[in-house]
This record gives sequence, C-alpha cells and structure tokens, in this order.
Amino acid sequence: MTTSFQDETLSPILRSFEHVLSQLSTASSAGKATYQGRMLDTIKRLLKHPEGIAALEPRVEELEQAGIFAGTDWATPSSLIPGMVGNTLKMAEPRTVALECVSLLRFLSAARDEKARPSLPSEHARHFLAQVLALNLDRILGAHHEADRVKARELDGAVDALLKHILASIGTEGILGQLVDEVWRILRQRPIQVDHVKSMILQIALAMNEEGQSFSTSDTRLGAGRLISALFGPTELCREDPGLEVYRDRLAASDTGTLQAEASGMARAMHDTGLVSDYHAVFLRFVLESGHGYLVSDALGLSNTGLDSFRCYQALVQQLIEVAVHPGTAQAALGIALILERGILYSPPIAPSLWRLLGSKLTPACEASLTSAFGVGATPHQRLVAGVMLLLGQPLGIGQGNNPTCQSARALSMWALNDPDYLLWQLAQATSNDRVIMYFEGKPLDSALLPAGLALHTPLDADPVSIVLVPHLDRIYAEMGRLVAGRAEDPHRWINPELHGWWVGREFHIAVDIATGKLSEYDKFIRDFHTAYHPLHNGNEPVIHPQPAGIAVTDSQGAFVGWHAISIIRVALDQSGVMRVYFFNPNNDSGQDWGDGIVVSTQGNGEHLGEASLPFSQFTSRLYIFHDDGLKTVSESPVDEDEIGIIRDLALQSWARNRH
Amino acid sequence: MQTKDPQKGYVAILGWSLRCIDALEKFDRRYVIVAPQWAEDYATQHGIPFVSWDFERLNDRSFELSTTLKDMGVDVAIPLFEETVEWAGAINSVLMKNPRLLGQSMLFRDKSLMKRRAQLGGIRVGIFEEAMDHTDVIRFLKRVNQTLLKLDGDPNDPIHFKAFDKAGCLGHRVIRSPDDVAAIADDEFPALLESHLDGWEFAVEAWIKDRKIQFLNISEYVTLGYSVFVPATPELEKYRAKITEQIEKLIEVFDIDFGFIHPEYFVTNDGTMYFGEVAYRPPGFNAFELMERAYGFNAYQALVLAFDPKATQDELDAFFPTPIKDAKGHAGCFGVYPRRRVVSELSIPPETENDPYFEFHELAPPMESKVTKRTAFGTHWGLVYFFGEDPHRLRDLLKAQEELDFYL
Repeated sequence: MTTSFQDETLSPILRSFEHVLSQLSTASSAGKATYQGRMLDTIKRLLKHPEGIAALEPRVEELEQAGIFAGTDWATPSSLIPGMVGNTLKMAEPRTVALECVSLLRFLSAARDEKARPSLPSEHARHFLAQVLALNLDRILGAHHEADRVKARELDGAVDALLKHILASIGTEGILGQLVDEVWRILRQRPIQVDHVKSMILQIALAMNEEGQSFSTSDTRLGAGRLISALFGPTELCREDPGLEVYRDRLAASDTGTLQAEASGMARAMHDTGLVSDYHAVFLRFVLESGHGYLVSDALGLSNTGLDSFRCYQALVQQLIEVAVHPGTAQAALGIALILERGILYSPPIAPSLWRLLGSKLTPACEASLTSAFGVGATPHQRLVAGVMLLLGQPLGIGQGNNPTCQSARALSMWALNDPDYLLWQLAQATSNDRVIMYFEGKPLDSALLPAGLALHTPLDADPVSIVLVPHLDRIYAEMGRLVAGRAEDPHRWINPELHGWWVGREFHIAVDIATGKLSEYDKFIRDFHTAYHPLHNGNEPVIHPQPAGIAVTDSQGAFVGWHAISIIRVALDQSGVMRVYFFNPNNDSGQDWGDGIVVSTQGNGEHLGEASLPFSQFTSRLYIFHDDGLKTVSESPVDEDEIGIIRDLALQSWARNRH
Repeated sequence: MQTKDPQKGYVAILGWSLRCIDALEKFDRRYVIVAPQWAEDYATQHGIPFVSWDFERLNDRSFELSTTLKDMGVDVAIPLFEETVEWAGAINSVLMKNPRLLGQSMLFRDKSLMKRRAQLGGIRVGIFEEAMDHTDVIRFLKRVNQTLLKLDGDPNDPIHFKAFDKAGCLGHRVIRSPDDVAAIADDEFPALLESHLDGWEFAVEAWIKDRKIQFLNISEYVTLGYSVFVPATPELEKYRAKITEQIEKLIEVFDIDFGFIHPEYFVTNDGTMYFGEVAYRPPGFNAFELMERAYGFNAYQALVLAFDPKATQDELDAFFPTPIKDAKGHAGCFGVYPRRRVVSELSIPPETENDPYFEFHELAPPMESKVTKRTAFGTHWGLVYFFGEDPHRLRDLLKAQEELDFYL
C-alpha cells in the first residue's frame, strides 16, 4: 500500500521535525540562530517527501512564531520582493531554498485567509504570489532551460511541486492577467532597457501555448496578444513569426501597397507598446537598401513635426538607421522616431554632434566595457549609437540598474532632456580619451585620475550610454563630495549645480539639519517649496528646467528606506483638477508604494511617457531637498496653514518619525 | 524570558556557547557570561549579561576578574571549556574562600598529575610516563613491548601520546613504530605516554553536589573520536553499579564537593575498570545535546544546579530523571572528517539522510578544497545527529557512517 509506505517514511521525519521545532520555539532570542539551521534541514527533508508540502503547510504558522525567519531578510514579509524569489529558489544552498519555500507557504496561507496575518493583507499576499508565479512560469510549465537541467539541484523537484501547488491554490487566470498588466505598466514608463520585459512576454507566449484552454478572459488575451505580436509578429507578413530570412524574402516579393501596409503596421505596434520587433529592423534596412526610402517615415510612425524633422535631416537619419538599427538593436528605431518628434535636431550643434558620433572610433577600453555588457552581437560602436538614440529619444527612460548611481543616471537624463549637445560632448570625451573633465568651482576634475566612486565596477546592467559614462560621472560625483566634505551643510547644495548644469537653482532648501539629522524649520521648508513650485503660489510660473530634488524614500509601511535623487519635471493640474508634481525617478520602476496611501502613479494621471507623479502635498511630504532659482520675491497668495499641517503630519508619520 | 529568582544562586559562565546561553535565558538563575571581546557585540545586541575577558592572557590578572565577579554578587564560576577550568578554580577559590579549589583545578588540567593522583588514591590506571622529547617516546614504546615479551620484528603493541592540557582527542596520537615518533612536532612536548589497553572505552558524565552523584550518564563510544550515543547499550549499562563505585572513588580521591566531571574509562574483558582521564567541564562531541534528546532535561541547566551553592537537594531530585528508565530513546552523533584529500562540496549521503533515525546535521560547507592531513585525532568538521529506539541499530548505523563520504 502506497499510503502506509508513505506514512512509514513520513513519520520519522515528522518526529525530528517536531523535536527541532520545539527546540527552536523555546529558544531565547540569543539561541534562535543555533537552531535555525537544523530546522531548515528537517524542512528540506520534509519538502523532498511526496507528502511533505501537505504536512508542512499546517505547520507554517508555528514555524513562523518559533522564529524560523528571525534575524533574516524574510522577517518582514511586506518588504520582500517577488522578483528575487526566483533566484533564491535556484541557489545552491538548500537551507536558503527551504527558507524561501516556507516563506512562500506563509504568503499562501495569508492569501487564503484574510485574518491570518494582520501585517500581511491577503490582497498583498495574492499579488506577491501571482508575481512570483508569473516570473517563474518556466518552472511550472516544466520548460526548464537546458542549463538548469545540467546543474539540477537537490530541491528542484520539491520547488517545482511547491510552485504548482501554489498555482493550483490561487489559480492560473489571475497570474497571466497579472503578468500582462505588469508588462503594460512597465512599458508605459517607456524604459530604455526592455530585455526583462521581453523575457516576461516570452513567458506569457509560452504559457498561452501550454494552457490555451484555461486562459480565456478576452481582455487579458487581447492585451497579451498585442504584446506578443509586437515582438514576434507585428504585421501581416510576419504574423506567424516565420524568421527574419523568410520575412526579407517576402518583402522582396511584395508590391508597394503591401510594403506601405507593412510600414504602418510596424509603426502602430511600436508606438502602441514601446517595443520594437526585430522584423521592424529588417523592414527598415530593406526599404533603405531597395530604394523604398520614402517608407521610412511611415515605418517610424512620424507626425507632421517628426516628418518635417526627418525631411530636413534625411541623410543623417538614414545613416543613423544604417548604423544603429539591426535585429538585436531594433529598439533604436523607436529612439530615432522620438528624437525626430522632439525636434531637437533643429538645435544647431545636435546634427553635427551626431555626425561626430557616427564617425567616432571608440577606445579599446570603451569597446571592452560595451562588449562585456552586451556581448558580441552588434559592434560596440553600433551599440553605443543605438544607446544614444534611445537616451535622446526617451530621456526619462534611463534607469540606474542595480547600481548605487542614481545621481549619474539623473544627470544623464537631465542632459538628454535639457542639454543634449552637452551630453554628446561628454560622451565624445569618454569615447576618445577615456576621461571626462568637469569643473568644480573652477577646479578641473579629471575622471581618469580619480579613485572609484560609489559603483565599484563598471555597471553591466545598464544602457550603453551609462556603461560608457557612468563610471566617469560617478568618480567625479564622489570627488566633488570629498571636496565639500568639510563644509557643514549638505554637499548637494554645491554639487548639484556644478554636476548637472548652470540651470540648477542656486538657492538650496533642506528639511533636515545635517549635524543632528533632525527636522529643521520644516514648516518654512514646506512653505518655500510651495512658493517656488506651486503654480497657485508662485505666480503661475512653470518649471523651466528639470530641477534636481532629494526624496526620503519610504517603504509600503511608511518606514524610511534612504535618500534618493530624482528630478522635478513639471507641476500641473491633472485631468481631474488635482495639482500634481511630475517627476523623473532614475530607479528602474517608478511605480512604488511609499506607504500611508502615497502610491506613485506612472499612468492615468496626465503623465507623459516616463514620468512619475504624485499630488503636490503627498510629494512634498517625502521631499527633503530642492533647489530654487531665487527669482521670486513675495508670494501673493500665502500657503494655507492647514495644508502645511497635513503635509507635516504625513512626513512625521513616516520618514521623519524620529527626526523631530 | 524566564524571570530570575534573586534567592537562588548567581553564576558566572566562563566561555562562549550559544546553547549554554540559551539554556540560561530559560532558567531561573541570574547569570553573567565571561568571554572574549569578539562576543561582546552579539551579547549587547541580545541583552546578554557580559564581562569581556581574554583567557589567553597570563593568570596575573585573574584576581581582578575574581574581584569584579565578587563585587557583582556572583556565587560561583562555571568553566565551559578546557582552557577555562583553572580560571574557574582560581575564581572559585576567591569567591568561596577555599584555596584548595585552585589546586584541584590544576589536577584536572594536567593529564599526568591527574593520573598520578588517581594512582595514589588506588584507582587502577594503565602504565604511563611523561615524555619531554622524542627519545622518551621511543624508549617507552620499546619498554612496553619488552614487558609484553615481544621479540624484535613482532608487530608492536601501540602506545598513546597525549598533550598534557588539551581537551578530548586534540593532540592524541597512536604510536606503533619509531616512524610515527618522527612525525611528532617538537612543540607537542611535553606529553603523556600511555600503554594501550584492549578494552571497551566509554565516557561518564556525572553531576555532583555535596560529594554525592546526582545523575550519572554512560556514553558509549562506537569508535573513539567518531561517534558516541546515550544511553548506552544494555551490555555496557550492566556495569553501571561498578561504574558508580569508580566515580565515588574519583570524588574521594580528587576531593570533589560539587560540579560536573567527565571521565573516560576502559573496561577489559574480565570486567576490570581502568581510569583514562577526567575533565571538569562539559564534554566535547555534544553529549549534552544527546542527553537532552534522550531524557528531555537541559544538561546546561543541570550544570548550573550542580555548581550553585544555593541549590537544594529537593531541587536537584526534582530536576534529574531516572537513568535509562526515563529515556525516550537513544540519541547519538557522528563526527565527520572528510575522507578525500580534495573536496568541493558538502553532500549528505542519501542512505544517511533517508534513514529513519537521522535527525539533522551541523556540517559546514567546505571553506577550502584541500583537506589538511590528519596526524592526530583532531577536530571534526561537524556532527550528524541520530535518534531512535533500538541502541544496537543506532550503534550499527553510527559505525556505517564511517564508510560514507559527506564531502565530495
């Protein structure tokens, strides 16, 4: 009998389990750590048993109370990140894998029962699990990569079983829907780097193939279909993803009308999603090579503005496409289209700067960095030109990657938005001399001679321009910090204008006292921000240049996480009449929950692509540094004291809790 | 946390052990940990009463430590490790105004003095001698084998070479030939030499209060230096009365009023007991954990009771279980040494992990791939724990572990 056999093998494991659990649960806080390892070992044995998950599930709460998570990152479930679960589950250390499994079971129990955990609402738990499942669909579908199979790990089978169990418990439907929504949410921020988005879309495509029957809600299906087709079959001639060669043959055999339809189909998919299919690159190269160059503007989906720009600079644009747009770097087509729409080519130095870029020869060091980040598919020069197209086209799409370099990413975004000529000059310095020279209060700082800054290595998970420039900027930023270290105030007072540009306001406002870290004249700080930026209090003056600002970032519980650099782009009324601050966050995903109901919006509240926004008061409650141009004198309409009180309370409830 | 009873004793623990601290956190005695400075951060973080002390320094400041502890109101110091035994003796001689305790602790720290004292008291020990250098070892090896009427060319009976003041198996070598002698480093001298006794080796853990044995456990070795389990098999437990007699002798000879001892004995085929050595501290190889598993009492708390001058006989009687009868099963552990010269990963053999007696392991992944050659019985890389009802099955299981690779 199978059952009795399994009982027979399960009961000794459970006996050890109960013994170790009682040791762990009675241990004092000092002793917990010595029992966690053996607890995880018995959990591991249980997980490997066919009946193990069922036996473990009812014991999860007891495990949690016994302190299995005590002293680890898993102790506060609300701050766990679904994106990291997949990697943890693939780690070699079985104890860590076992701990992650228990954590997932804890989320599952919270998802099922609203009252189970006050700190973990079931809605949040469901959302978390849905994202974990969405990001690990390959394991659920059994579509392991060959590389995974080769280095199979001890708990792989158990983890797959656990994920399937979770999936069975909370349902497929939500997962794919959630994943599709997630992809759309990210794409609406128009990130420059879309590789992870592409891999999620691939997961969706695989899942729809496998689970075709159960995946039925038409809305989700439609949203998913648009994503998949934008990548793998945006137009009639490549609908079934026939391969680039076949597509090119088909183009060669098509008449003008068909090519015209292809061009507008490509443009539609590109602007709809922000994703560019490799077929699109093939199409653009084909029309340029075969004398159908007149179709380029249609294939880029240009408006009148863009079209005019294109006609004025046709030779340049064609050369940019020739160098930058290949299968593998197809996204550059979107960058080119958006550059044309921005009209920045009309600024006298831009076109010559771009010609300089096209003719530049990279130093071996630049080539090596680009190759190590992107591999050998396209040449480093092609990568870099493509990267410049993307950054100039989508200045707010840049992200810092997993690097502590928000200052540098913000600077690149500001220059791309505000001073592209300067950006191209910096880039030329770096690519021809492996150095960037900037001046701090008249003193030249040469990045080639400076020690490393915040990032110890060249970032590999960033866009091409960042790969080349960030190491230099980061060093200069750090050096500026060293130069002002002795001054008794926040270094950004001097660094921000010197690093970013003359347009950064020289009047500096900070909410905390540097020496004590306590709030200082906070009400005045709030009032000053209104008179500097709020159109109803500053004489209706718009934000003229993007302005650097400092944010006290808080987590979804409102607890202080750290200081972060952003830039204020504009302040305006949204469609429902709420005054909002629209800003750029160099963090890779701006849609963050900062607690107390302050959820940063990235779409639907009047944001331009790439902008994040918050109502003015909510934004102010997380602000701690801003610059002002110093032109305003007396405010004609004073700020309501109640309004200041509301903002002060929001701050005091969260990051400023221990600072007053 | 357990509330502390100010009417009961206040103990100082010499040495850092999280298991011990955990036991004390859950016990009603006030305590303070005396340990090296590296532990201070952890102690502060977890609110553990702590006095930072460097035990490696010379003894000239031990009076300062005694005074500090006395001023705090501490009643007694308890050593956790071999290196802290004479510190405890020195401190207790001040705290209890009994200078004899320091001398007593010195006996426990020197294997040669210990044996002489036992012999003087009429306890049976093997032949032993002190060695100052290599020639002493060779001479002893020859003399012992001459006594056994061996001829030149006959395989020698081995002798044992032990460092004077190291815990357990550290620095313990088995010598069979002059070649083995050559492998001994100069800095291992002076040392104790002993003849080899063919017999059954076992250890005893005894808690003593008012010169009376409060609880006596027999730990059966499966293979010395590898594996041990408690309670012992009935075959060994049948000697319990004889063993108790021997321990009572030890108490007399070493003049032990209170505390905890951990002696080792051999019993030969005819039932004669030979005394090996005795330590005045908890055993290595985690026998405390095994007793907790088998009997359910906390051996560290028992340690505190045995040392605490304010503990009453009633309290002790209520604390200890009845030997053998109250055991829920037999608990054993196996010390793992890598069997290969080059290892890269920790991998628990499936036959171990799938055995119903297996409980858990405390093996660390390898830090470096090259395994240092083992010359003496050394430090194992971690312990594997087992628990089950049948002592013979457990014994055979522990024996079988010796043939398995835990590090690949």
